[in-house]
Amino acid sequence: MELNVLDEEYMTSGHVACPGCGAAIAMRFFLKAVGDKTIIVLPACCWSIIAGPYPQSTVKVPVIHSAFETGGAVASGVRAALDMKGDTETTVVTWAGDGGTFDIGFQALSGAVERNEDFIYVCYDNEAYMNTGIQRSSSTPYGAWTTTTPGDEWKKLRKKNIVEVLVAHRIPYAATANIAFPEDLVRKAKKAQSIKGSKFLHIFASCPTGWRIPSESSIKIARIAVQTNIFPLYEVEDGVKYTINYKPKEFPVSEYFKLQGRFQHLTDEDMKHIQKMVDEDWALLLRKAGERP
Amino acid sequence: MAEQEKIKSEVPLLIPRSCESTLTNMTGSWRFLMPRYEEKTAPCSTACPAGEDIGRIEMLTTQGLFKEAWETILRENPFPAVCGRVCYHPCENRCNRGEFDDAIAIHSIERFLADAASRNEFKPSIEKLPSKKQKIAVVGAGPSGLAAAYFLTLLGYICDVFEAMPEAGGVLRWGIPLYRLPISVLRNEIAHIESVGVRIHTGKCISKSFLDEAHNQYSAVFMGCGHSRTRGLNIPGENMDGLEDGIAFLGKVRQGETPSFDGSVAVIGGGNTAVDVARSVLRLGGKSILVYRRRRQDMPAFDQEIHMALEEGVEIRELLAPVKVEKNGREYTLTVQPMRVAGTDTDGRAAIEPDNEMTQEIIVQRIFKAIGEEAAEDWYNPPGEKEKSLTLKNSVLIPRSQGAVLVIGGDLTNQTKSVVHAVASGKEAAIALDILFQEGSEAVESRLKDYVVGNGPSLSMEVYMAGPRSEREKHIVEYDEINTDYFELAPRVTQPRLLIEERRKTFEEIDLKISANVAIREAERCFNCGLCNQCDNCYLFCPDLSIQKDDSSQGRHINYDYCKGCGICVVECPRNAMVLEEEGT
Repeated sequence: MELNVLDEEYMTSGHVACPGCGAAIAMRFFLKAVGDKTIIVLPACCWSIIAGPYPQSTVKVPVIHSAFETGGAVASGVRAALDMKGDTETTVVTWAGDGGTFDIGFQALSGAVERNEDFIYVCYDNEAYMNTGIQRSSSTPYGAWTTTTPGDEWKKLRKKNIVEVLVAHRIPYAATANIAFPEDLVRKAKKAQSIKGSKFLHIFASCPTGWRIPSESSIKIARIAVQTNIFPLYEVEDGVKYTINYKPKEFPVSEYFKLQGRFQHLTDEDMKHIQKMVDEDWALLLRKAGERP
Repeated sequence: MAEQEKIKSEVPLLIPRSCESTLTNMTGSWRFLMPRYEEKTAPCSTACPAGEDIGRIEMLTTQGLFKEAWETILRENPFPAVCGRVCYHPCENRCNRGEFDDAIAIHSIERFLADAASRNEFKPSIEKLPSKKQKIAVVGAGPSGLAAAYFLTLLGYICDVFEAMPEAGGVLRWGIPLYRLPISVLRNEIAHIESVGVRIHTGKCISKSFLDEAHNQYSAVFMGCGHSRTRGLNIPGENMDGLEDGIAFLGKVRQGETPSFDGSVAVIGGGNTAVDVARSVLRLGGKSILVYRRRRQDMPAFDQEIHMALEEGVEIRELLAPVKVEKNGREYTLTVQPMRVAGTDTDGRAAIEPDNEMTQEIIVQRIFKAIGEEAAEDWYNPPGEKEKSLTLKNSVLIPRSQGAVLVIGGDLTNQTKSVVHAVASGKEAAIALDILFQEGSEAVESRLKDYVVGNGPSLSMEVYMAGPRSEREKHIVEYDEINTDYFELAPRVTQPRLLIEERRKTFEEIDLKISANVAIREAERCFNCGLCNQCDNCYLFCPDLSIQKDDSSQGRHINYDYCKGCGICVVECPRNAMVLEEEGT
């Protein structure tokens, strides 16, 4: 596979992510794409730990650890400070988990993109509060077990469609990406970097610990999420121009669910219901992309 | 500005700043599963009787390294241009890609590489061991004899090949028709065999007494005289004038004769000779009727040859056993007994019995017998129980206490009579003799097992000569072990051929050349089962950056100080060239 990026690494070994961590892979690809003229704002999330305890840092670019709810706001401040210094070259990135994006950091994110602050907001999505012990978030998908949706109380609500929320803000660029598709991820990160204004990248990052999956299948499961249409790869420019980047093989969703411990309780009936929701979402996306009337 | 400076000096910046990397954390200590690079065996290479390293050949072709790819074939088979054309390619039946879409056209790529080598006048650089003192005589310059001499020469022996005919090649020169194997192609490959040091003496017919006197000059004799006498039908009238031997007829045509035919010609038999005769007759103006006593699917001829014969207009009349031949003026009447299937024979083909009392008559202008061949002289054959001998897969080794060691190979011993089996026989004989000379005859059978490809019986000369291939695991990669997410459906190359109308008229080669682009595209379809092709997936997807590039032949290594053993590299390896094991095993 050719990534069309330098062999340069902006991360070091020895970080403390769990074995098979999708979020670590996501950061590695992202930094390879955007390079070292980058400042990362890191609200509370798994990456707050992965980045290393003081005085260590596993990334070779400046990182500002910030409060959970302030990803968008701190990035706005960093951007303003750089602008005052006349530095338009440095890319400001907020690197937040799904909790810090979908739930706790939502107001700061919405505010920052409403002001069209010039930064990239990356949400690496592992679909629950994994770092604190697998509590459900509004990103947790329908059907999932978490420690706060245990047993029969598995989550019976849909996952919030965060990209559509951001698209509704009419930001210049919003896209989904997936760790199993590095070429696509790198291209989108570079594209986001080249656009002025607020950019949102939603990166699907599997979590062996929280999803109850074997660490070696981390990439495989992320790939199947795309192949089953559960996590389509697409991008939206200026809130209106949709492009679907990958036409999946359209495997049945059960291919995705059967591999994960967090979905083991689902019955065939549940699977059918989920398939219906996924088909519905896919049809909606095709319509938005103008590929279906 | 002044005010800013004032603020800076009065308000100290009290932010803790990390200044170290995480490299002091040896996260390798978390590991309980350990990934490791481990190349395995591709199924095609075990299915190839010559044990060619097909996965690697395709990989090198993909990279445009045609010379290296060609040399990789030459390490296991001195006849890539011949086998790329006439081999029935059992490798393709075992190709894992066949379960995905279509098998790789391995033979087309093999032929392309050999043709490219010839066109570019490549000089192969093949490893040759230092000279040894033993001299070996090879009787018969057919594919098995030439292969034996070639491999023995690579192992350091001096080889003299004796051939009765005026030119070397055996069945390749005097049997297989030109439309399957042009003469220049064969001559070119024989020239390569001579260039490694094999000495071929043509026009030298060997008598039985030679075997007894050989030990004066030679330490061993390889008998690769082949089967060149057509077996009898044992029916009345078979010896009358006008009934010809199929193999003799093919030989005449290859000597340049162009007899012309008019009207129907019956060819009795179902093997490759029968099909070759039928197709040659067709090209010389006759109408060929192939008469076979079993069913079409039981014919020992290769499927593709039968298919092309039918395309060209050869008629196959199955389940008909010849009963007698009579001459009526200028015509012959072949009386045949219709047969019916009665269960299965021991070799898997249909067992047959007469269908009813009624016989049929086929009136033809000429009749060819081609029900199979046997050794031209009885003493060519293995001696059976008379002498102590070692029966190997494709040869028989007779370590005589008096006189030279005798090895009998090629069609004289092979179950399947094909060119590639002849090559396998020559290779087996060469390795067996080398083991015998160095460790004695007792060691031969057990030591041969060390050099099989996968689970055998194909042998690898590269493994025997301790080349890089010897480090591969014998495990044969199965389709389920390929990560097919990294491959896209792609159609198999369609072999360009002469039009059927042209084929009926000429002995021109039927299969046409494919371009380098097409060959590369076809080679790119190969999964390279079990072989690392430097795709870098392991490096890319490692969450711990613990796969590091280096100058080794692997191109990278795993830094176990940091590898947490997640196993992503192993699962994402498209071709199963890695393995995940429990730590400490």
